[in-house]
This record gives sequence, C-alpha cells and structure tokens, in this order.
Amino acid sequence: MYLAIREMRFAKVRYSLIAIIMLLVAFLVLFVTGLARGLAYDNAASIQNMDATHFIMEKDSNHRFTRSQISEQVLLQASSIVGEDNVQPLGVKMTTMTAEGKIGKLDVTLLGINPEGWLMPKLTEGAAITATGTGQVLVDRKLKDSGIGLGTVLIDQASGLKWTVSGFVNHESFSHSPAVFLNEHDWQQLQLTTITTPSATKWTDSTYNAVAVKANTHHKEQLTAVLADAEIVTKADAVSAIPGYKEEQGSLWMMIIFLFIISSFVLAVFFYVITIQKSSQFGILKAIGTRTGYLVRSVALQVLLLSAGSLVVSMLLIQATESILPSGMPFLLQSSTMALTSIAFVTMSLVGSLLSVWKVTKIDALDAIGRTAA
Amino acid sequence: MRHRLILNNITHTFEDGGIQRTVLNNLNLQVSEGELVAVMGPSGSGKSTFLSIAGALLDPKGGEVLLDGESVSDKNKQELSDIRLHKIGFIFQSANLIPYLKVEEQLTLVAKLGNMNKRKAAERIRELLDMLGLNHRRSAYPDKLSGGERQRVAIARALMNDPAVLLADEPTASLDASRGMDVVRMLAEEARELGKSAVMVTHDERVLPLCDRVLYLENGGLIERK
Ligand SMILES: Nc1ncnc2c1ncn2[C@@H]1O[C@H](COP(=O)(O)OP(=O)(O)OP(=O)(O)O)[C@@H](O)[C@H]1O
Ligand SMILES: [Mg+2]
Repeated sequence: MYLAIREMRFAKVRYSLIAIIMLLVAFLVLFVTGLARGLAYDNAASIQNMDATHFIMEKDSNHRFTRSQISEQVLLQASSIVGEDNVQPLGVKMTTMTAEGKIGKLDVTLLGINPEGWLMPKLTEGAAITATGTGQVLVDRKLKDSGIGLGTVLIDQASGLKWTVSGFVNHESFSHSPAVFLNEHDWQQLQLTTITTPSATKWTDSTYNAVAVKANTHHKEQLTAVLADAEIVTKADAVSAIPGYKEEQGSLWMMIIFLFIISSFVLAVFFYVITIQKSSQFGILKAIGTRTGYLVRSVALQVLLLSAGSLVVSMLLIQATESILPSGMPFLLQSSTMALTSIAFVTMSLVGSLLSVWKVTKIDALDAIGRTAA
Repeated sequence: MRHRLILNNITHTFEDGGIQRTVLNNLNLQVSEGELVAVMGPSGSGKSTFLSIAGALLDPKGGEVLLDGESVSDKNKQELSDIRLHKIGFIFQSANLIPYLKVEEQLTLVAKLGNMNKRKAAERIRELLDMLGLNHRRSAYPDKLSGGERQRVAIARALMNDPAVLLADEPTASLDASRGMDVVRMLAEEARELGKSAVMVTHDERVLPLCDRVLYLENGGLIERK
C-alpha cells in the first residue's frame, strides 16, 4: 500500500536495522527448530522409521520399550484382531559392545525383528540378514566412524554373544545410540543368556519387549478390551518415553518459544515507539480524511513485509548453512516444519503490532491542528 | 446565492477542572460560494475550536454544521472521514505535510484515498502544481522545501479533491509578508474561481484587504467589523 511502502523507502536505515534483527531472530528460530527436529529424529529414528501406528507394551511399563515384557501369547492375540500382516514382534535392549580387534566400547541398542516383516530397515550396504541365518547383524552407518566394517565381529559385553556385521543401514538409532538389528533367532538366544526372573513380569514366556501394530481406532479399542495386562501406546507416546527424549526436546522447545516471544516483543516495541513518534502525522492523515482502517492496514502491512522479508532471507541462509554443516550434526528441517514455523513467526509478529494498531486507533485527528506543530 | 458552509447556533464548552467553560456560544456563520472570510480574535478566543467544528473534526455540544446543505451531525467515524476527504480542504497553521512523501505524492495520496481515476489524478496534480508554481519541486521531500513552498503544497493538497469548503488556520503565520500575501491571494482566487466557501483564521492585518469579509470572534460569537 501507498503509505507503508513509501515510508519504508524514506526511512531505509531505520527499517533495515529492524529487518536485520528480525532476520537474525528468524534464522535462530529456524536453526533451533531444525536442531530440535534433527535431535528428535536422531534420538528415536528407528522407532520413527517404523511403519507402526501403535505399540503394545506391558502395563505399568510407562510406555518404555526397555521396561516392557510381552509374551508370545499377546502377539498371537493381537494378530487375531488386527490380522497377521499388521503385527510384528519387537525386541529392544540397550547394551555395550566391543568390536573384535579394536579397543574401546560402543553403546548400541539391539533391536530384535523379523527380517521378513515390515520392521526390517532398508539396507544401504552389504548383505541383508535372513530369518534363518544366525550370528549376522545389520548396523547403523554411524558405527563406521568407530572403525566397524563389513565382517567385523561384535561382542556383547553382558552376554558374551558374538555377531558378524553383514550390512549397513542408514539413520537407525534409539536414544541417540546406533541400532544393531538381529533376527528373531539371535534375539531368543540373547534372551536365554539373560533370563528374566519369572516373578518380575506377568508372563512366564516373555520374549519380546513390544509388539508393533498397524491399527485403526476400532482395532485399538478391541485390543484394549482383549489384552487386559497390556497397554496400547501410540507411536508418539512411545517415542517421547525414550530416555532423554522429552528433556532434550523440552529445553529446545523452550528456546524456540522464547525466540518467538522475543521477536514479537522486539517488533512490538519498535512499532510502538515509531507510532508514538508519528502520532502527529497520523493525526494529519486522519484530519485530511484518511480512514483509521487504512492506517491500521498500513502498519500491519509494514510488519508483514518486515517479518516475511526477513523470513525469506533467513530461509535462504538456513539452506546455505545446512549445506555446510558437518554430516554428523543432527539437523532436520522439512518443508512442512519450515512452513509451520514461518506461519507462527509471522503470526507472532502481527501479534506484536497489535499495541501499535491500538495506539493508531486512539490518535485524535484534532491534535494535528494548531497544538502539535510538526 | 448558495451557501456551501453553514454553522447554526454552534455552542461548545470545555471542561476545565470541573468547571464548564463556554468557548463558542450560539455562533452563526454562512459562507457563500466564491467567498473568502477572515476570522480574527485574541488568542484563546476559540478560533481553532471553531475551525475544527466547521471541519468535522470536533463534534459541537450544540447546534449543527451544514456542508453543501448536508448536516454532519449523527455521522459515524468513517462517514466523517469521508466527508473530510471529499468536502473539506484543510490548511493547517504549520504546513503539516507527510515527511516521507514527495510533493507530488502528497497529492497522489489524497487522490488514492478518494479513489480518483489515475489519469485524472495525474492531470489534476500537474494542473495544481503549475498553478502554485511548484512544478520544478514536484519530486522533492518536504524537508527540502522552503516554508512558503511547503504552505503552497499544503494548499495544493487541500484543493486536490475539489472540496466544497476550504479551511485555513493561520496559513501565513510562518511566512514573510510578501509570501503571506501570495498565499492568501491564492486562497481567494481559488475560492472565487472554483466557487468554494473559504474560511481563514488569521492574526495578520495586512492580508485583510484580500478577503471578502472580516469577522471577529468575541464572547463565543462572530461579529462583523464596523
Ligand atoms: N481539548 C481542550 N480541553 C480543554 N480546553 C481546551 C481544549 N481545546 C481548547 N481549549 C481551550 O479553549 C479555548 C479556545 O482554544 P482555541 O485553541 O480555539 O483558541 P484560539 O483562538 O485558536 O487561540 P490561538 O490564537 O492561540 O490559536 C482556550 O482557552 C483553550 O485553552
Ligand atoms: Mg488556534
């Protein structure tokens, strides 16, 4: 609109300064958001990659995979309700390993799955594991940095079991530790070496930690009704119960929310101060017949231009930054996240301009005559 | 003869520390088209108040204002804005231009607000700037203009939408004698040629010969000079 743009053209320095502040804040918002999403993904990638909608866990396990124990019987009951194709057993165990011929220990998470089922991750290198083979595992690519290659023998510290790396997978981790995939046979063997005391759990033949299911709400209700000793946990709940996940995300989200509040306040103060400075101008404009609505729209448009402009530039900067970030840096900014963040940023900016808008509507045209000599 | 501006029994009071002070008391005024009326009076006599009421900026406590025969009382804020835009041309004591608009943009703004056709607006701007001798300054910002030039831009802006009534509050206060005379001469010509009703508040005795009538604001009313 006429006034808004001409004013910004005239007071270039003033508006550039505020644009730069907005740009920096927007950049930081996007960066921290990307980091939060990246860490969230890195933390729980293996669970998030799973095609499941829900997980069946033991009651009172607080949605934690590692605390839950599930029996074969539950698996059978679940498959009779949602169908065999929609159910997969899952074993989760966090452990420490050494690689044969290497010094140093590795913290990893063992994931027991059915290699023929839909929990099987996509192979990026080497050979896949099979349901019948033994002693073969797939490991996350990140372990390459620790000197693990195809054929390396891994030794589990607790059980002493040995596995050979047969292939690599990408982006597979649990609680920030790289994932190691075993087939059901190897998983059972591991269970035998670390026998759980029967009294510690409700099922005597407990072998898995959870059952991954693809279920709709109708199925979910049925499962809840039938499996009295189990709990049907949504994927999101299961993810946020992963150790460290909530704490990490919580502090990052607090930063993001504060950045939004800061940007809103910076804009609010800036526009409030210049609105007060310009009140005699607004008075003249009203006196010569400018509607208040026009002036309000003019202020809103300036805020919109500033926030949208600095957002666009900061998006370009973020993309440039992303390309030079080290590959190990967990950073993930999908366009959907970016769009949501942008909408929130612009909305908060407009909220920040409300104070000025209110001030503009309060300015009296009469003040322009005689009294305030500008 | 048509009266484009009529004030009937205008009364206005200000509250001053709990005491009601009557500034305007049953003030009557009729300005016919083509006429320039000068209003004089001591400081604090209510001249600016009178002008604000005539210009639909201030709602009087009593009486009514008619612009082109239409009453402005009982109008809402937006209607008042539109009346000020289309029917009234204001020239303030100090030029009061918008600092970030170039001379021609000051006029374009008024045209835009009034939804004037673009070509028509451009033509009218050229016409006004020519008439007021501002053509060479058309793309200057107000802070680069002299006081007289600024006042002329303010006059051009007031004339842009071809208003029925011109109101000027001490338009010559910041100008030297000859420039002041020029500005008032221009106002008188405008009123006469375009058939507007013009009212000018002034302290400047020298410009009075250029006006059709001189009125004094005394005791809340307007009195003709003997
Ligand atoms: N908003 C207001 N509240 C209270 N009193 C007011 C207000 N506006 C004006 N007055 C008073 O009304 C009286 C008339 O004021 P006005 O501005 O009309 O005088 P004026 O004739 O224009 O004076 P000057 O020649 O100095 O400009 C003054 O005494 C002034 O103090
Ligand atoms: Mg005055």
